[in-house]
Amino acid sequence: MNKDHEPRIVAFLCKWCSSAGSDMAGVSRLEYPPNVIPITVMCSGSVSPIYILSAFNLGADGVLVSGCHPGDCHYIKGNMYARRRMALLKELLPYLGLEPERFQMSWVSAAEGVKFTQIIKDFVAQLKPLGPQTYLRRSL
Amino acid sequence: MVKISDVRQEAKRLLEKGKVRGVVGYVPGTRGGWAIPYLIQEAERAEQLVWDPTCVHNLALFVVEEKKEQAKQKEPDKRPLAVMVKGCDSRAINVLLQEKFINREEVVLLGVSCENSGVVDRRKITHLLHGQQAGEIRFGDNGNIVVVVNSERRIFDPQEVLADRCLECQYNFPVVFDYFYGEKIKKTPPAPYAQVEKLESFSLEKRRQFWEEEMARCLRCYACRSVCPMCYCAECVVDPISFAVEPTTTAEEKAKKIKWIEKSPLLSENFVYHLVRAIHLAGRCVDCGECERVCPEGISIRLLNKKLEREALRLFNYVAGTDSQAPSLLSTFQETDPEDFIW
Repeated sequence: MNKDHEPRIVAFLCKWCSSAGSDMAGVSRLEYPPNVIPITVMCSGSVSPIYILSAFNLGADGVLVSGCHPGDCHYIKGNMYARRRMALLKELLPYLGLEPERFQMSWVSAAEGVKFTQIIKDFVAQLKPLGPQTYLRRSL
Repeated sequence: MVKISDVRQEAKRLLEKGKVRGVVGYVPGTRGGWAIPYLIQEAERAEQLVWDPTCVHNLALFVVEEKKEQAKQKEPDKRPLAVMVKGCDSRAINVLLQEKFINREEVVLLGVSCENSGVVDRRKITHLLHGQQAGEIRFGDNGNIVVVVNSERRIFDPQEVLADRCLECQYNFPVVFDYFYGEKIKKTPPAPYAQVEKLESFSLEKRRQFWEEEMARCLRCYACRSVCPMCYCAECVVDPISFAVEPTTTAEEKAKKIKWIEKSPLLSENFVYHLVRAIHLAGRCVDCGECERVCPEGISIRLLNKKLEREALRLFNYVAGTDSQAPSLLSTFQETDPEDFIW
């Protein structure tokens, strides 16, 4: 496996917490790997599993779904629904032979810029030894 | 033992009195005594109803099809539809009720119990008979299956001939019904998730190999989707058939239409299709095994659904189709849901 592979991460960040958290990391001038492609969604509860599968299908090496901490959801309970859905997907993907490290979920609040940078650093470190994700990638 | 004469009598009575617009049941097929699903509308035809181990179809599908058909009619017949339901079919009906796809008044359920037996797997029978044509297949004593071949009676152990889903079934009698035939015998399979657990015990590499071999065979004929009573969406997310590209369709309109996956049966696209289908059936699949039965390539689709069925039970203590009043798996949550996987 190519150890120098720079993983591409697609991150679905909820508008109210995680996206604001990544902004916090930005305005605080914290440094983190540039491997992440952030996509702001209105709520982690709006992330359908097909978004994640499609990201893998279109060549993502890792997918991160990040929302507000339980109880902090702008829509009261969107993140709780997401938690159930993602728990199932998290079980299903390794069952089909995709490395479990490739899909992660996290809670990042608007104030947790440092936590956000740490998550991205950890995620990149985990993905690097795995090399490129070719399992679900479209091969036309 | 289910007395089929009772079912016939009730079906006849319902049709004669005009209480139902039809009875969906099993009638003898034209080939080798294999039952076929049939919509009976004349009272005298109720005599044709049968109940034997070849009644493999999930008749909840026809409730869905009829409902869709009615939506197209200007003045639909408002009378309910009577349906013969096995344990798995009744759970499918329960999910449809739970999702408010149908109302309880729209169906009259003639529940038949599989008792200590079940339905047979055609592939297993063909294999055991070395391709010979079975003349008649019926329930024997103690769950045995009697197969008549060339006017010779052969008795098979249920373990040999029953469909895998029946061997792993925990709901062998209807959970929702208006009329009940047969006995309620609770079956407790020794290891309902044995196949899933076996696959889980493999290494990641071996699992990947297994699924690659399975998925590579998929033709994307969508038979699994067509036969599934839960796949009732008018438009499927993986196959947007309602989007007609006409000469007047602008580039903007085409661009707006999200195409999640390619239609070609490529390995990667097959994976995404089956994954999406599995996720959409999480907490809804009642393990009637129809998808696997109709698959022309014999892909182990049930293994996917069974996995999510087990996770729903293990993580959220949820079993699909047992309670039509409870909220569905993914439309509810609990404060105590597991979150140890979240960073």
